[in-house]
Amino acid sequence: MLIKTINVCKVYKNGLEALKNINLEIDGGEFVFLTGASGAGKSTLIRLLFREELATTGQVLISGRNIARLSQRETVRLRRNTGVVFQDFRLMERNTVFDNVAFALKAVERSWEEIRIRVPQVLEKVGLGGRESENVMHLSGGEQQRVAVARAIINHPLILFADEPTGDLDPNTSLELMKLFEQINNDGTTLLIATHDKEMVNRMHRRVLTLNGGKLVGDTVGGWQL
Amino acid sequence: MRLYSFRYIIPQAFKSLKLNGWMTFASIMTISITLFLCAISWLLVVNIDANAQQMESDVRVSAYISQSISSEDYSALKKEIEAIDGVDQVEFVSKAQGLSDLEKRFGGVNLEDTLGGNNPLPDRFSISAVNKDSVNSVAKAVKKLTGIDTVRYGEGSVEKLFALTDTVRKVGITLIILLGIAAITLVAMTIRLTVFARRKEIMVMKWVGATNAFIRLPFLLEGVILGVIGALIAVVLVFICYNYAGAYVAGTISFVYLLKLGDIWLNILGFAVLAGLLMGAFGSFISLIKGLDV
Repeated sequence: MLIKTINVCKVYKNGLEALKNINLEIDGGEFVFLTGASGAGKSTLIRLLFREELATTGQVLISGRNIARLSQRETVRLRRNTGVVFQDFRLMERNTVFDNVAFALKAVERSWEEIRIRVPQVLEKVGLGGRESENVMHLSGGEQQRVAVARAIINHPLILFADEPTGDLDPNTSLELMKLFEQINNDGTTLLIATHDKEMVNRMHRRVLTLNGGKLVGDTVGGWQL
Repeated sequence: MRLYSFRYIIPQAFKSLKLNGWMTFASIMTISITLFLCAISWLLVVNIDANAQQMESDVRVSAYISQSISSEDYSALKKEIEAIDGVDQVEFVSKAQGLSDLEKRFGGVNLEDTLGGNNPLPDRFSISAVNKDSVNSVAKAVKKLTGIDTVRYGEGSVEKLFALTDTVRKVGITLIILLGIAAITLVAMTIRLTVFARRKEIMVMKWVGATNAFIRLPFLLEGVILGVIGALIAVVLVFICYNYAGAYVAGTISFVYLLKLGDIWLNILGFAVLAGLLMGAFGSFISLIKGLDV
């Protein structure tokens, strides 16, 4: 099992109980939607899975390892095997498309020669071939999200987490982005996409985990549950 | 850390310095002022020490000859002095010679004119002792001789110089500690601002799996650059001031001995750069203790 949570609870310092007793399993190569209304706990669960935060109680296991017990070096390795995409893209606004994507390779200390070869390749893959020198702020929302996806997948992660990736995009652009995610999934990357885009979830016919009030209330294949 | 990572780390540190222009300026200036005062205090201490040592090794007893004896008796008196235990050499200094020596020490001022053509100095013998421990006994013995009015040998002045060195050292150290704390705090604040300005990049670096060292090194380097630039400015200012002071002292109070800049510049440069580097590194270190872990 690639991702497993055992009785995971998350209580924030202000007393808010964001997740209650979450038990789930995701196999390598799966394409999974995490759905629920705003405040259901989707983002919290994603943050726990890529170790941005730690569970208050319970265990999060990635490839069988409890990620709360990872050393600094192991945490770095975990991060290199996971990619993250957010609703607001989180790009470096003043930089070019190339610089934004190359940054992910620089940060893991890849050589300049490798960066020069791999950035255009990944941009080609996300449909932004030849747009390297453009400033990211001159791109449309959908294109900016593709830059964020390129940055997240350039290190060939085993898992890609996306938190409301289509939240700021129109339906057509969202659909194109989903096709890109399918393509990434076909290359072997496991995907967990948090979304409240009911139409999109129904259209994709994939496994759907449903959160409600911090509890996991549904785990089915097909469409929107609530 | 891979060597080619420095192609990212080094430019990043310089970009950050430009990003927080005023804070960078304030940090550099505080480090400069701290190190400038540090170097000036050190220069005062070593120069006063050097003067005290020179005085100590070069103490001569001046025995002023009473005006009641005639100059024919001088050679007999000189022989009497030479016979005293511990006396090395005895040199006669006439009142005219004494005045001209004094004029030289005050940088060539015409004292005779100032004094209206009168020379108030008595004739004297300038006596050197075989070693500095016998100066005291020689002075006492000479004083007992008939025909000698007063005896001077700079008693207490060496001690006064050493006491002055001590005061300069204490005041200097207090000032330097206070300014050092201010400088380190300013560096820490500057680095904090950079961390805040670049929080998005730091987050992205964490997510994609950058190591702690890779994330922190540009900030550490930023602090070190602040320190070294501050140190270099301080060194230039110290050299300029010391040169001016040297020229002034040589032209006015020539009996004060100043160490040559050529002999000590490397000490000043080495110390200032090292101290600046450490202050900068420590400033960034304390601002990075919390919050940047992967």
